[in-house]
Amino acid sequence: MDSRPLLMLRLTTAAIEEIGATPHGRLLIFPVIGGSFEGDRLRGTVLPGGGDWVTTRSDGTLELDLRITLETDDGALIYMTFTGVRDDTNHYFRTLPRFETASPKYAFVNRLLAVGIGEIRPDGPVHIIEEIL
Amino acid sequence: MNTRLLMTLDVDVATPQEIGAVPYGTRRVAPITGGNFVGPRLRGIVLPGGSADWLLLRADGVLELDLRVTLRTDDGALISMKSFGLRHGPPEVMAALARGETVDPARYYFRTTPRFETAHPTYAFLNRLVAVASGDRRTKGPIYTIHEVL
Repeated sequence: MDSRPLLMLRLTTAAIEEIGATPHGRLLIFPVIGGSFEGDRLRGTVLPGGGDWVTTRSDGTLELDLRITLETDDGALIYMTFTGVRDDTNHYFRTLPRFETASPKYAFVNRLLAVGIGEIRPDGPVHIIEEIL
Repeated sequence: MNTRLLMTLDVDVATPQEIGAVPYGTRRVAPITGGNFVGPRLRGIVLPGGSADWLLLRADGVLELDLRVTLRTDDGALISMKSFGLRHGPPEVMAALARGETVDPARYYFRTTPRFETAHPTYAFLNRLVAVASGDRRTKGPIYTIHEVL
C-alpha cells in the first residue's frame, strides 16, 4: 500500500488515571494536556482536554482509544481519534487515526484514512502518521 | 509504511436497504450474502448471517463504510472482522459506480482499515495487528485487497 507523510504528533500526558479491572480488562486513562504536530500540510499544537483510553486485553496487548483536538498554527480546530494496538512483546505499536474538521483549508483530512507508528520516548509518546494513498 | 499482503476478500452484496435521510447523512445497509477470502496464511468463506456494510453518504459527498463480516477459515476457525472505510471520487465516477458499472479502482479513493477478533490460536496473530485495504467496487460486491501494517 502506498502512503505519504501526514504529520508527526508529540503528546504531553499528565499522571495516569487508573480505573482498574473492568469487564474488558485493566483500563488506564492517559490525559493529554498538550503537545505539537508538524507536517508539510499542517502544523500546530495539541489542546489540553483529550486522552487515550488504554485497555490491557487478556492476551497482554494494549487496545488504544485516543481522542484529542489539534489546533493548527492558523487557528483551525481538527478533532482527531485513533484506535490501535500496542504489543510491547513484539514491539508493535500501530494506530488508525481519523480526523474531522469544519475548516475548508483542512477539509482534505476528512477524506483520508491514515496509519500511525507509535513510540514511547522519555518526554512522551510520538506518533508518525501517514496518509493511506 | 511497510505492509504485507494478508488476504484478498471478495464479498457478495444483496440489494441494499435504503434507510434514507438520517441526521448524519443518507444511510444504506448492504447485506452480505457470502464471499470468500484467500491469502498466504488464511483462506475460507464469508458467512452470511452477521455480515453487512452500513453505508453513510455524508454531506461532503464522502461515503463512509462500516463493514462487519464473519469469516470462516478452511480449518473451521471463526474470525470477526470490522472495518471502517471511505469512498469518494469525481462525481461522474461515483455516478457510474452507483449505476453498477465497473470502474477502474484507480479513479476513486476506496480505502478501509480492518481489525480482527478471533479465539482460535492459529489465527491469534490477527488480534494483534491493524490492517489497511484498498477496495474495488464490482457489480456483485467489492473486492478488498487487505494488507497487514508491519
